[in-house]
This record gives sequence, structure tokens and C-alpha cells, in this order.
Amino acid sequence: MPIMPENPVHLPVEKLSLGCPILDRFLGGGIPFGFVTELAGEASAGKTQLCLQIVLSAAAPRSSGGLSAASLFISTEPPFPLRRLLSLSSDAAPLDHIFVRSAFSSKELFDLLNHVDLLLSLVRHSSDRRIRLLVLDSAAALFRTDAEDAVHRSSELFAVAAKLKEQARRFNLAVIVTNHVVDVVDDGSKGPRVGNYMNLSSSGRKVCPAMGLAWANCVNMRLFLSRSAAEGNVVDIDGCTMLERKLQLVFAPHLPGGSCKFVIRREGVFGVGNQALIPTSPQ
Amino acid sequence: MEKLFCSDTGPSGGKSERVMSPVLVLTGTSAALNELIDEKRDACGMRKLGCEEEKPRIVDAEPKENQYSELIIPHREAVEIIKVTLKCSRAVGLEGKHAVLKGSRTAWEMLSDEQNLKLIRTGSEDFDGILGGGIHCGQVTEMGGVPGIGKTQLGIQLAVNVQIPVSYGGLGAKAIYIDTEGSFMPERAYQIAEACIMDTWENLGFSRKEIEDCQERMQPDHFLANILYFRICSYTEQIAVINYLDKFLEEHKDVKIVIIDSISFHFRQDFKEMVQRTIVLNEMSRQLMKLAERFAVAVLLLNHVTAKHTEGSFQLTLALELVCFPSPKDTKLYGEAAI
Repeated sequence: MPIMPENPVHLPVEKLSLGCPILDRFLGGGIPFGFVTELAGEASAGKTQLCLQIVLSAAAPRSSGGLSAASLFISTEPPFPLRRLLSLSSDAAPLDHIFVRSAFSSKELFDLLNHVDLLLSLVRHSSDRRIRLLVLDSAAALFRTDAEDAVHRSSELFAVAAKLKEQARRFNLAVIVTNHVVDVVDDGSKGPRVGNYMNLSSSGRKVCPAMGLAWANCVNMRLFLSRSAAEGNVVDIDGCTMLERKLQLVFAPHLPGGSCKFVIRREGVFGVGNQALIPTSPQ
Repeated sequence: MEKLFCSDTGPSGGKSERVMSPVLVLTGTSAALNELIDEKRDACGMRKLGCEEEKPRIVDAEPKENQYSELIIPHREAVEIIKVTLKCSRAVGLEGKHAVLKGSRTAWEMLSDEQNLKLIRTGSEDFDGILGGGIHCGQVTEMGGVPGIGKTQLGIQLAVNVQIPVSYGGLGAKAIYIDTEGSFMPERAYQIAEACIMDTWENLGFSRKEIEDCQERMQPDHFLANILYFRICSYTEQIAVINYLDKFLEEHKDVKIVIIDSISFHFRQDFKEMVQRTIVLNEMSRQLMKLAERFAVAVLLLNHVTAKHTEGSFQLTLALELVCFPSPKDTKLYGEAAI
């Protein structure tokens, strides 16, 4: 088969909604397809919450702004938050189109991704819902543990990233990967501080996404979720006080850096911008 | 029969003084360059070979002044002439071996070629300053930087800038974008193309008529369509595309820049044989340098950086440092984030 160049005009430009108009606008429409997006943040920053909301947004029928698509959720940190998924979903969202699998080692992940290849190509040709989203929550849990050989780990990271990117491209998937953060110890040394090229902080500590510079080369877009430092730093919406959180765009090829405040409520994750845009709770 | 090109300068000194300078075995050069060469030659005390004694053999019935005519003589005689020439050349202190070696050029020719080579401007004066005016056609440029520093932005910018029409000071050419990471975003390319069109029109005064003439070409969609986009998902595909470029560039002479974003992504996975990886990468770099020279295209390689622990501190260094582009003309730049 001859290798033919493509016309960029015809590349897909569709985006996957995050389920909140403010966050969607912040990200230029949502999560791009054919692309690996990383959500990094400390524990309880809201990574999994946001993932679940995006899964539901993909599954929602087209009539309500969704894609009516199926998703794969690879969970490496059990248990899978099923109750939270149920509480986020309205009755209409078909939960049987969300496939959940766990993986506990990098080898298991590789095997799983190879099976996913087969699944994706089968589903592509059937009349069933197409799979349009793959979530890996979290990548760090698998690769931070086997740190015996740094060189080996970095090549494993690139292999996983290459596989995810290939699937994203071949099947026009949106791929979301979550990552932990590590504390940055400022030893006062000069020279480039590896990985921490933007001063990120969460809960008042200086942090940077885990897995180093090698992994940063593997993702197309990096989003950083953080909690505010002081307990008193809360936002007041509809008479409820909530902890203020921040979604920061660290890098993306199509968007400038920036940040957007958000809160997590019972109904989901909502950006805080123009207050009038926040949907009020159904009750 | 050998075809030998020589120049007829018309009336000049006696034939005993005549020397056929191999430097003049040049065809298709501009008149200005010829004048320059004539000047240089005269300064060296060299003269061009007159063709008076071979006149009967000249195919062109009336050799005009200052024009090249074609001399058709048997191979044996051509060799004889060259031998004599070499002797004469040495007499004036110039080795003329290159004329015998097919395809070789003098440094003088190379210098003038290099001066004729086009530059692709980045759009930033400071950046152009570092690069010696812009990205050079015919050369391989490698740029490395941390994620988010703007490597892809620069790649897209150059893919757009190469298309600025000649009448606006650009090259009016096409670009090949080889995307190994999936970071090429059409929406971003569209924005850059829009801004480039605005800049071009702002910087250079234009008349209404010119706008109408260029209306069709100066559209973001048209700029996007002139980026020939290859998406690569594995290192075997990457090798295949680079092998294919030779044929592709032969068919698409209007391509003036090849951008590979990034060269290293697929080669940082576990290779069973590291030696084999080095061989593959060296072969790839050799091929790219050959392509750059043969088709006078600029080759821009974007690369990752990795942290190396040296002398007690971390330093950034280009990934896969094994592959080096040893030629001194190939530029390496490191992007470093302002911390």
C-alpha cells in the first residue's frame, strides 16, 4: 500500500465534551480525538471525578450533546468508583456501554491493550455503538512501582504511549491518562530543574507530575488539577461553600497555557467562570 | 562522444596563452555569477579557452559572444584536452582535478550555491538571527526542547511560512509534515496560517489588485492543503516514509521543507538490540542529509531532551545522542524553558 500524505483540512476536528460548558470552553471545545490527554494531580484533586464525567458525556445520547459512544475504562487503582459513577449518571445514561477492566502490572496492561486492538476493530465494523474513549486511571500506579531499572521503565513508558497513540489515531479515540504528582524538593541547585518547568503547586506544596521528563514527552496535552492551599479558600455558590480547585493547562499543541477554577459537587465537576453558566441542580 | 562545454569569449589574446579553466565547466548559472567568475579569473591571471582551432567541429554554426556553445568531439580528444588543461592549470597554481571527477564542485561554486539557497524565516527576528537568517534549505536542522516549549508550534509555523508567495518575499513552496506523536492540530495550523496571511499583507504594502490576484492563494485552507501530512504510528512506518521521500520529492519538486515531529519518539521504546537501533538511526540521518542536499529542501528534526546526571547536577541533553549529524553545517539548537 503506497504511503499517501493527507490534507490537514480533512483531519478530524471533533472534540469530546467534558460535560460542563465552562470547562469545554476553557479547553477549546473539549478533549480532542486521536490524542493523548493527561490529567495530573494529587490524590483527591478530582482526576477520577472528571474522568467519570467524561465517560458519561461520551455515553450520553446525541440528543443531549453526547456521542452515544461506548468507553473503555482501565482501572489500575481498585476499587472502580461504581457508586460515584451511578450518582453522576442520570437514568438515561446507558451504563452497559462502559467497559471496565483492571490491570495491575505493566505486562498486564500491554496484554490488555493488545486485546483492545481486536475489540476496537471488531466494534468498528459492527452496528453497535462505537468505542470512542479510553481512560487509563492511573498510569502512574503501574509504572511508579517497578522502579528497579530506570532505563527499562522509560522504554516501557514509550511503548505504552506509542500503543495508546496508535489506537487513538487508528480508531479515532480520545485517550485520557491520569498521573500522580511528586513533591519538588528545592535544593537550591542551579541548572534546569527537571520536569518542573512550570511552578505547579497543590495544597500549598510545590509539586510536579510524576514519571519525569520521559513521560512528559509521551502525552500530547497535560492538564494539572490542584486544590487550593488554605482551607478557608472556598467559593460560595448558591449558598453552599466549596473547596476551590484549579484546572491548569500546562501544555497543549493547540491552546495557550492558562487556568480555570472548578468545584466538585454532588452533580459533577463544574467550571467556575461566569456564574450564570453553572447549571443549577435538578432539585 | 563526450559532450564538453566550454565558453567562447570571442576576440582575446593569442592561443598560446589560452587556458581552459575547469572552473568554467559550469552551465546554467546566472549572468551575474558569470561576470563575477570572469572577474575572479582575470584576477588570477587565467583566461578562458578559445575555440578557434576547433572551429570546424563546433556544432553551433555561429558562436555568439559571451555565450556557451556545445563542442562535440571524440572521447579520446576530450581527455587529451583535459590533460593539457590540467598541466596549464598547474602552471598558474590551480589544481583542476574536479573537472575530471564527475559531480564534484569547487568551493567557490559551493559558496555561490549556498548564497543562492533560500532561507525560511521563522517569523521571529531574534530566532532568525540565531539561525543565520532562518532555516536553511539544503541542510538538516535539529531542535530539541522540553515538552511544551513550542517545538511543534515552530514546526507548524515553518510549514506555513514556507508557503508565503515569492512576490511577498517567501518561497511559495509546499511543506511535508511527518507527525510521529499526533500533536499536529489542524485548528492551530489554521490560526497560524491566518496570522501569517495578515502579517504578510501588513508588512508589505499591497494594492487592491494584488489582493484580488492572491485572494485564492492567500486563504488559510489553501495553506493547510499545502502541508502534506504523514501520520506515523511506529518506527517501521517512520523508516518506510523516509525511504519513500526520495521518490516523493522527485515527484513534488515544489516541496521546500520536511519537518519530522519528532524524530525520536518511536525509537525510545525497548529495542532488543541497541546496536541495531544505532545502525538504523545512523542510516536515517545519512538519508535525510542526502535528501536535503539533493533536493535543496530544508529538513527540520524536532527532538526530545532528556536529563543527564553529570558532575553533580542534571543537565538537559538531546535524546538519542547516539545519532549525531556530524557535518558542521547542520545546526543543533536547544530550547530551554525559562524557569
